[in-house]
Amino acid sequence: MFIAIVPAYNEEKRIAKVVSDLLKSVDSVIVIDDKSSDNTIEEAKKSGARVLQHKINLGQGAALETGHEYARSIGADYVLHFDGDGQFCVEDIAPALKNLKESKADILFGSRFLDNRSKVPFLKKYFLLPIGRFINKLFGVVSLKDSQNGFRILNRNALEKIKITQNGMAHATEIMGLTRKHNLNYVEFPVKVIYHEYGQGIGGGVKIVKDLFLGKFLK
Amino acid sequence: MLLLLFKIIFALLALSAVFTVWNKKQKTLLGPKATFFWIVLWLVITLVVFWPNSTQILAEYVGIGRGVDLVIYISIACLFYLVFKMNIKIEGLKRDLTNVVRKESLKEK
Repeated sequence: MFIAIVPAYNEEKRIAKVVSDLLKSVDSVIVIDDKSSDNTIEEAKKSGARVLQHKINLGQGAALETGHEYARSIGADYVLHFDGDGQFCVEDIAPALKNLKESKADILFGSRFLDNRSKVPFLKKYFLLPIGRFINKLFGVVSLKDSQNGFRILNRNALEKIKITQNGMAHATEIMGLTRKHNLNYVEFPVKVIYHEYGQGIGGGVKIVKDLFLGKFLK
Repeated sequence: MLLLLFKIIFALLALSAVFTVWNKKQKTLLGPKATFFWIVLWLVITLVVFWPNSTQILAEYVGIGRGVDLVIYISIACLFYLVFKMNIKIEGLKRDLTNVVRKESLKEK
């Protein structure tokens, strides 16, 4: 069984299309609503997703791990991480899954830099992402061209081993760290990202570093 | 005379603080490490109030010019450490909260 995990927070305008598009490529779509204040839950349910609700806003990392726990409980063979704001393209899913299976990897990381389809903002491409890559090196994670891409596919082995403890955006680095820690085979695959919003800025980056640092002192 | 009065008032305050710490320990509101830390801190502060030169002796021993500078440096280091410990504690609580919220959300599946 191939399921898509979609963390969502106030995505009532885009979630219905994301879910209906995803259902053409996966067996089931799980939307984890992170305490939205709009109609995200109703829109997701109407379009055919199973919805899990957080009673408190916890962050994208926490929502993904809730999806992981659900996926483990139903014995999913593959899980897809897919953002709820429609920034990824469903056309990338089938070739990515094929690539994961053929390469016998445990986890596939999407990358914006393996082709020219994504229009990455200049500051992000030449300033923020290189800093991100440097920080990832400091924290000893696997080396990827795209350090902060939310498109991933995990097989059952990776799903059992990758348990996210970082609630916020630091989960991206944590997943890369757990990939190295558990010696999982990984592969990068080109995906297209459409920017609706700017995303992580400098402040967000500082918070990621703080979260990763504090996380080192917790079990 | 005024200085002596100040010292006596401070000694009473310090004694009351140590007493409060001990009471909290008896009610298991404080662990052994925290109890030790707070009692030693109040004893050291009392020592400095009664013998201000003690900081000077220590400052010279560690190569810092003035006793008051040593007190400031140690205070800043202690404050940084306490903020760090508090952050760790908050992170731990956030994780506990996350687990509770997650269990609730999975119950509804």
